[in-house]
Amino acid sequence: MQAVDDKPAGLASLGHLEIAVMEILWEHGESNVHQVAQRLERPLAYTTVMTTLDRLYKKGWLERRKSERAYLYSTRQSREAWEHQAAEDFVTGYLVRPHPAGELLISCLVDAVGQNAKLLDELEKKIRLKRKELDRPGKS
Amino acid sequence: MILPYLVRLTVLSLACFFLVHVVLAVAMNWLAPWLLRVAERRRPGSAARLLLAARLFPSVASVLVVACVCVPSYLWLEPEATVERVGVVCLAAALLSVAIWVVSAGRGLRAIILSGHYLRRCRELGRETRLAGEKARVIDGAGGLFALAGILRPHLVISREVLQNLSALELEAALLHERAHFTSRDNLKRLLLLLAPHVLPGVGLQSLERGWAKYTEWAADDRAVAGDPGRSVSLAAALVQVARLGVNMEASPLMTSLVADGRDLEARVNRLLGAAQCGEITRQGTPAFIAASLLGAGTLLVASMGPTTLQAAHRLLEHLIR
Repeated sequence: MQAVDDKPAGLASLGHLEIAVMEILWEHGESNVHQVAQRLERPLAYTTVMTTLDRLYKKGWLERRKSERAYLYSTRQSREAWEHQAAEDFVTGYLVRPHPAGELLISCLVDAVGQNAKLLDELEKKIRLKRKELDRPGKS
Repeated sequence: MILPYLVRLTVLSLACFFLVHVVLAVAMNWLAPWLLRVAERRRPGSAARLLLAARLFPSVASVLVVACVCVPSYLWLEPEATVERVGVVCLAAALLSVAIWVVSAGRGLRAIILSGHYLRRCRELGRETRLAGEKARVIDGAGGLFALAGILRPHLVISREVLQNLSALELEAALLHERAHFTSRDNLKRLLLLLAPHVLPGVGLQSLERGWAKYTEWAADDRAVAGDPGRSVSLAAALVQVARLGVNMEASPLMTSLVADGRDLEARVNRLLGAAQCGEITRQGTPAFIAASLLGAGTLLVASMGPTTLQAAHRLLEHLIR
C-alpha cells in the first residue's frame, strides 16, 4: 500500500469530477479505474478517470495498491470524516481572515441552500411533466 | 493465569468469538464492493435484505460458532478436573471481545434511550391525530418532519407544515411509504446494525450499512407505490415538498424519515418518475429459497456438531488457551 502525504491537500482544491469519484469509492469501496469509469453518471474516457484518480492519490485523498496489472484505489478517510473536515475547513478558512464578516458567511450558506432550491425546482418541473404525461388521454 | 473450569470456558468463548469475528469481518470488508455490485442488480427489497444479512453475518456467525462448536467441544472433551493455564493471547482476545461487546451494547442502549426521549418529547409537543387510519403525532413548527420513530411500536411524527403543504394523494403516498418501513421493521433493523460490533475501521462494512439504508428507502418507495404510476408521481411530489420544508437531520438513531438527509433525493425522485423500475409489492423470499436456506443451515449445524468437528475444534482451543 502506498500513500503520498500524511495530510491530504485542502478540500477546496477538489473539482466536481473528483468529488464524484470520491462518492463512488465511498459507496462501492476499493475499485479500479475501469469500475469507477463505469459507475460515473456521464461517460468519460478511461484516461480522464485514470488521471483524476491519480491526482486524488497525489493530493493524499486516496490510497492505492497494485493488483495484477491495475491499481486498486480506496479512500483514506470515511465520508463522515471528510464532510466534517469540509465544514471545518470552510468555517476555519473564513474566520482566520483579518476581518471576518458574519454576514458574508451567512450569505454563502444562503447561496448553498439556493443551489438545493434549484435542484428542487428542477425535480418539481419533472414531476409536473410526468403528471401531464399521465393525464393525457389514453394513459393510465 | 489459572482459572476455574467454567471461567476458563467463558474466557475461551470470548476469545474465540473475537478471533472468528475478526476473520469474518475482514472477509466481509473485502467482499463488500462485490456485494454492493450484486445488490445493484437486485430489486431494492432483496438488495436491502442481502446487505443487512452481509453486515450482520460476522457477528451472527461468530456467535453460532462459539455456541455450536466451541462450547460443546469444551464441555464434551475437556475434563473438569484439569488445571490449565490461560495464556496472555487468549486473555487479550477475551478482553477485546468484552470491549467490543460493551461498545456495541453502549451504542444500542444510547440509541434506545435517545429514541425514548425523542418519543416523549414528541408526545409532549405534538397532538395525536388519525391520518388515513394511522395514529400520528402532529407537531407545530417542525419543518419537513415526516418520520417513523421508535422500535417495537413505532409512531408516526409529522410536522403541521407538512400536513398543510401536501395534497391528499401526496399525503397518502407518504403514509404508505412510512407504513412500508413499519411492516418491514426497519427501525428494529437499525438497532441490530447498531448492536453489531465494529471490529475494523475499514470502509467495507460501513458501505454495507449505507447501501442498506439506501435500498431500504427505495424498497419502501416501491411498496408504497405498488406499481401505480399516479401514486409514484404523488410520492415523488411529496418527497420534494417535504425537502422544501427543510431536510430534518434524524433526531434519533432509531427513526426513518421520509427525506432523511436529502442526499439520495434526486435519485429517488428520478426513480419514481421512471416508474418502469418500480412496482415491487411486499415480496418476501420464495418458499424454495427459505427451505433451501434452512436445510443448508441445518446441515451445517449437524455437521459442525459431529464428533470429528468437535475434536478438531477442541485441539484448536487447546492451542488458543496456551
